[in-house]
Amino acid sequence: MATRRHFLKLTAAAGLAPAIVSAQGKARVVVIGGGFGGATAARTLKALQPSLDVTLVEPNPVYTSCPFSNSVLANLREIDQQQFRYDRIKSAGVTVAETSATAVDADAKTVTLADGNRLSYDRLVMSPGIDFNWSAIQGYDEAAAEKMPHAWKAGAQTVLLRRQLQAMDDGGLVVLSSPANPFRCPPGPYERASLIAYWLKIWKPKSKLLLLDAKDAFSKQRLFQNGWAELYPGMIEWVPLSQGGKVTAVDPATLTLTTEFGSHKANVANVIPPQKAGAIAAQAGVADRTGWCPVEPVAFESSLRLNIHVLGDAAIMGGMPKSAFAANAQAKVCAAAIVKLLAGQKPQDPIVINTCYSLVAADYGISIAGVYRPDKGQLTDIPGAGGTSPLVAVGGLRGQEALYASSWFRTITAETFG
Amino acid sequence: MHRALLPGLASMILLAGPATAADAPPGASSCTGCHAPKRVADSVIPHIAGRKAEDIVRFMLNYRSGAWPSSVMGRIAKGFDDQQTEAISAWFAAQPE
Repeated sequence: MATRRHFLKLTAAAGLAPAIVSAQGKARVVVIGGGFGGATAARTLKALQPSLDVTLVEPNPVYTSCPFSNSVLANLREIDQQQFRYDRIKSAGVTVAETSATAVDADAKTVTLADGNRLSYDRLVMSPGIDFNWSAIQGYDEAAAEKMPHAWKAGAQTVLLRRQLQAMDDGGLVVLSSPANPFRCPPGPYERASLIAYWLKIWKPKSKLLLLDAKDAFSKQRLFQNGWAELYPGMIEWVPLSQGGKVTAVDPATLTLTTEFGSHKANVANVIPPQKAGAIAAQAGVADRTGWCPVEPVAFESSLRLNIHVLGDAAIMGGMPKSAFAANAQAKVCAAAIVKLLAGQKPQDPIVINTCYSLVAADYGISIAGVYRPDKGQLTDIPGAGGTSPLVAVGGLRGQEALYASSWFRTITAETFG
Repeated sequence: MHRALLPGLASMILLAGPATAADAPPGASSCTGCHAPKRVADSVIPHIAGRKAEDIVRFMLNYRSGAWPSSVMGRIAKGFDDQQTEAISAWFAAQPE
């Protein structure tokens, strides 16, 4: 009843006849979110089965990639090199609804859109990315983010943080706050600290970077710390949770960050707040109390709602980290599984790979990889596989991995958007 | 070692016939995150679609054993047994170059 009332009110408000959008007899898949997960899923579904009716719901006409956005902060790239459009996805036969999804009705199998339309689906793929827990750090809200940018969704925030760094006097203090697990891109805050230090060392060498961390260990930790000691001695100070690293409150007027142990006044403050699945996930009923979305490990179907698959950063993917590579890999597995499910067949157990490169400097790359398979109801590391770059690099390995990183970015963006 | 694998590969392709893309062997779809189906300008990552299956198997096994140096490929190849490696190699060999 609630749904029907809402629908009538909505259509009345929009001045439209009820718009149940469907094609004749074709199986319909709706994909919410046009990032590395959703765009890949939509495109792969259409490529695997051209007869499918695939609609990608994404309000932004231009996607701004988070991978390599730390290089924008260090002036190594421009923001437009991070940006991709959906033209090729459209020409591949995917319908792109340039609006946002406002509600999912898992029982009726419909998605309500902000433009007043309603899409019905046989299978729904949700790849909504992250939203921020604005209440988690006292004083840190959307207005505060204009003074103390998060830059954890790439775009205007990335440009704002770069502008603040460039305006800072030499000798200033940059404070970066990193959240507890889980969050988008586990090595990201440390790559960011590295590349900001890389840039400071050239342009503002008397400056320092304080990295306040809500945890006591982090991804590729020894590789990063060795790189910092080698390249930026004395510039980066990492404060772990146990030494008062957790930021509990901020004051955007004075750029002050308060931790459990004291307070720090910054010249530039980058607050990466705690996160949760994109808000539509909770509305759809696919997010649990943690704020993230539990899924089974074969087709990534929600453990909480039938016929809804969740991908990428929003999902709880067992041992897999929240990365663009992982979202893209999961999307291809999910698309193949959906084709099987729609044909009444059982999808095969997948093997899924993750690879994440980080730059410690423009020409200094490190990596982590993992190979995962379903085990006891979740994606689990295959023992003996995966791991990080060696701590001792021989034969120009760091330079080679920096080249691989940029090659990977070209490849994955070509596969997803190109 | 790879020579022993090849008759298995050939028979598998003959017996299975052309599989649909949704039937790619486990793990294969992840590879294209780096090894693009189409050639990408300015990428130093090798293009593998359409390469000979025996070559891909040889690379994977030598990376896996550490006989050949690599960056991530040794770590990734360790996640696949001989049969899975053969299946993925045959799959990429059958893709248009």
